[in-house]
Amino acid sequence: MQQQPRAQGTTTPQTEPAETSGTPADAPPKQVAMAMESLGRAGRLIADIRIGADRLLEALFITVQPHQSNKPLHLIPKEEALMRQYLQDLRAIGRQLEDSGVLTGSLRSRSNSWGLHMPLVCPDGAVVAYAWKRQLAGQAGASAVDRARLALKAFTDQKRRFFPHLEDEPFGQTSAGESLVSKKHCSSQASIASRNEELTGDIKLSDVLMHLEKEEPNVRVFTYQRLDWLKRASSLSSSAKENSLESSKDHNFNSSYKLRKGSLGAVALDQVAVVELVVPSLFRAIVSLHPPGSIDPDAVAFFSPDEGGSYIHSRGFSVYHLYRHISEHAVKALQYFLGIKTDATLYFLLRWICSYQTLFTKVCSKCERLLTMDRASALLLPPVHRPYWRSFGSKSSSTPSPLSTKDQGLDFMTAFHIGCSSDEV
Amino acid sequence: MPLKWLLHWQPNAGTTVNSQILTEVSQCVESISGVKEGRWKATLTFYKPMLRDQNVAADYPRDFLGISLQEQPNKYYCIIRGQRIVVEADSTIQIIMEKLQSYKSRVSLNFEGFQYQLGDFQLRVGKVVPTHSENLRGIVMEVEYLPISSLDKSRQIMEEFVDIWQETVSNRSLPGHFMHIDPNFAEYGLSDHYTSQHTAVQYASVMAQLIATVRN
Repeated sequence: MQQQPRAQGTTTPQTEPAETSGTPADAPPKQVAMAMESLGRAGRLIADIRIGADRLLEALFITVQPHQSNKPLHLIPKEEALMRQYLQDLRAIGRQLEDSGVLTGSLRSRSNSWGLHMPLVCPDGAVVAYAWKRQLAGQAGASAVDRARLALKAFTDQKRRFFPHLEDEPFGQTSAGESLVSKKHCSSQASIASRNEELTGDIKLSDVLMHLEKEEPNVRVFTYQRLDWLKRASSLSSSAKENSLESSKDHNFNSSYKLRKGSLGAVALDQVAVVELVVPSLFRAIVSLHPPGSIDPDAVAFFSPDEGGSYIHSRGFSVYHLYRHISEHAVKALQYFLGIKTDATLYFLLRWICSYQTLFTKVCSKCERLLTMDRASALLLPPVHRPYWRSFGSKSSSTPSPLSTKDQGLDFMTAFHIGCSSDEV
Repeated sequence: MPLKWLLHWQPNAGTTVNSQILTEVSQCVESISGVKEGRWKATLTFYKPMLRDQNVAADYPRDFLGISLQEQPNKYYCIIRGQRIVVEADSTIQIIMEKLQSYKSRVSLNFEGFQYQLGDFQLRVGKVVPTHSENLRGIVMEVEYLPISSLDKSRQIMEEFVDIWQETVSNRSLPGHFMHIDPNFAEYGLSDHYTSQHTAVQYASVMAQLIATVRN
């Protein structure tokens, strides 16, 4: 409610004759201004009515007191007359505002409104001059929740107006923790598919992950929403310390972690933004997807399995040279796979990442050694390069099932040192 | 915790270690782009039980070792090699043993030297000297590979590193070579995931080897 200061009401206000809020021929700004003024007047009248009611009650109270004069009896009819006048004025203004569309919002979608809508009186009594903005003066009492609600409503309306084809699920259902509903999943996938003509079939994230788990049983795959990953990354450092103290805890940790994944079910696959691949004791690779729930990777990074901290994400850098070099190479591989423009990009990337299971065992295909001194960086490194450019056999299209690696002739069996691979390319 | 291998210097038959070898070895590390970082030190102590009745001496282990490591300043590691026991205790256990007069320190040795960074490797070259003495008893080297903690998965990498290292050292034509003993960690109840207890076991093995060498 607009609170008018009490001092205004002590003097009898001039009851102005009800003005029309301007003919429809008035320009919208004037109409808005007149409507605002009417609302102000209405507010003042309401304040006067309240004060009048107070006075009536006071007069009645005095009359029941033991010793009193007749003064109160004069007050009561006077107040009554004033109150009647106020109420009449208020009714008039109310009718006015109704006609001009302020209280009903019926004129909000007029085409000639110059982008200005009539002021709206919200359910909590506040007046909104524009559809999404409150006048700051005098609105200190509006809560942040109200503001946010109003803003969201306005934005949603605008979106509905300008993007009718993006009519997806209403706001309330996008909260985290929803279990996967396959119908919803298909509809969001269908909308992505219709946007991108290059998608031949409907390869979903679940397909990719399922295939991967079948082909690479030694690699653990986990999916996260973006914020969940942040929490997990920060907790990794503490669990790493636990492991160093009690090595037998390692088994418990891994098994309880698997349980966690199982109990979460499919972590609302349409919100998955981070895919984590862990090969125990070897590496941890993080791939981020954009948009969430899609099969489009946008960044990748490698880390030591013992590392922990909030810097562990798809654009972060490991503290160890080894994993930093692998990450560098992985970024190039990602760009290559993205350039191929097939719907199996993510799948190829993940399979390529899994080829690093042999990181500490596979010797370089050129020099037949595991560890060599890299001249450029003066570091002793194992072969960190796994070729990605030879991963496609002869086929590029027209395979019935793009995720079947036998047809594609994926070649992840070679490895090179940094120095050795530059000769190969 | 990053894993490490402990190498010790095995002098050729008929020769002994001397500080010249130590200098040469340090130069070797620097020749493969090792960056000197700081000092390191570990202490190993032989304990003997304080018994009123000497007849029961046979029931008590003769090779009870205590090791303190720089990376774990609050811990003390007790090892009985004969029975393959290793225990991680708080560093105050030394004070407790002293106050209880249960075990007394017989001999104490320091492993001390310099630490070098070599990419993802950390090397520590050190001499073995009894405390309060400058008598060089041996040379040891810790090779630590930082990125991973699995002994099994890192075996190949570490072997290759040691090969590279041996090659570098052999260029200097020194009377001896570095050796690595692979203790059976499983017998001590330790797992594949590396911990400081593994380090303690390696020090105990190296100590036994050094004693055997000196005797011969």
